[in-house]
Amino acid sequence: MAETIPDIPTRLRTGFIGGLQTSLKLIKFVLPLYVAVDLLKKTPVIDLLGELFAPLMQLFGLPGAAAFAFIAAFLLNLYAALAVMAPLDLTPWQVTQCGLMMGIAHNLLVEGAVLGSTGARGGLLTLCRLLIAGVTGMLLELGHRLWVG
Amino acid sequence: MMETLLLALLGALKLAAKLLLIVVPLVTVFEVLRYHPIFRRAGRAVEPMMRGMGLSPQAAVPLFTGIFLGIAYGAGIIIRVAQEKRLPGRELFLMGLFLATCHAVVEDTLIFVVIGGNGWIMLGVRLLIAFGLTAALAWLWRRKAGEE
Repeated sequence: MAETIPDIPTRLRTGFIGGLQTSLKLIKFVLPLYVAVDLLKKTPVIDLLGELFAPLMQLFGLPGAAAFAFIAAFLLNLYAALAVMAPLDLTPWQVTQCGLMMGIAHNLLVEGAVLGSTGARGGLLTLCRLLIAGVTGMLLELGHRLWVG
Repeated sequence: MMETLLLALLGALKLAAKLLLIVVPLVTVFEVLRYHPIFRRAGRAVEPMMRGMGLSPQAAVPLFTGIFLGIAYGAGIIIRVAQEKRLPGRELFLMGLFLATCHAVVEDTLIFVVIGGNGWIMLGVRLLIAFGLTAALAWLWRRKAGEE
């Protein structure tokens, strides 16, 4: 990588601005989605739909409501998923589990197109991501159960 | 009703503040440290690992761009470098597989750490899976095609 190395003040500024940009991008999703999910939690909607997904989410040691976070992660991005997850009161382990699975499979529509545009087969790779995320989640949950007993 | 709304808004603002306080300093530190010679040495250290995944040294720049910046943001660089270097289809798919499971690792991990996740598990398992799968596919594909 032949690149010129910027001096420390430039790097500080780049980093600070970069961090702010990331945070603002996050906050744009976090504010409205967090409020929406927190309000929905007071209604039976989340519980009812959560029950529907409970058997599937159980495979990963997660509550049914976590399915909403996965939908947000697959279709939109991790910021949206984070905003949906935050009001759900998940345990640190469940957050780790979600973070790992969503880290592998997220923003599938946009990133699938990008992967495709590099000349690799985008659709196949997207399918791989979903499979890998599912298998990883189940294995991690299995390991967790064995570990905790 | 008004109170419920205010409470929800307060929770959202708290989360937003937490994100700002954690993300900004960490991204700044990362930016300052990333030119340190240690990282260049680390770059050379991963060369054997790249060979293990069936990737040539030319794939290094797009690969690392993807790992750190993410597919969506690093796309410009990835597409350009991939075309310029004319990476063979096999390497493009292998790199794609690695990046599909493992990209933007700093930011992705960070945002889940903010709400209480374990960053080491998330990061470690993801890297391990991406490396293992890509290496396995590289090995299988090589045997099938019977090429170098």
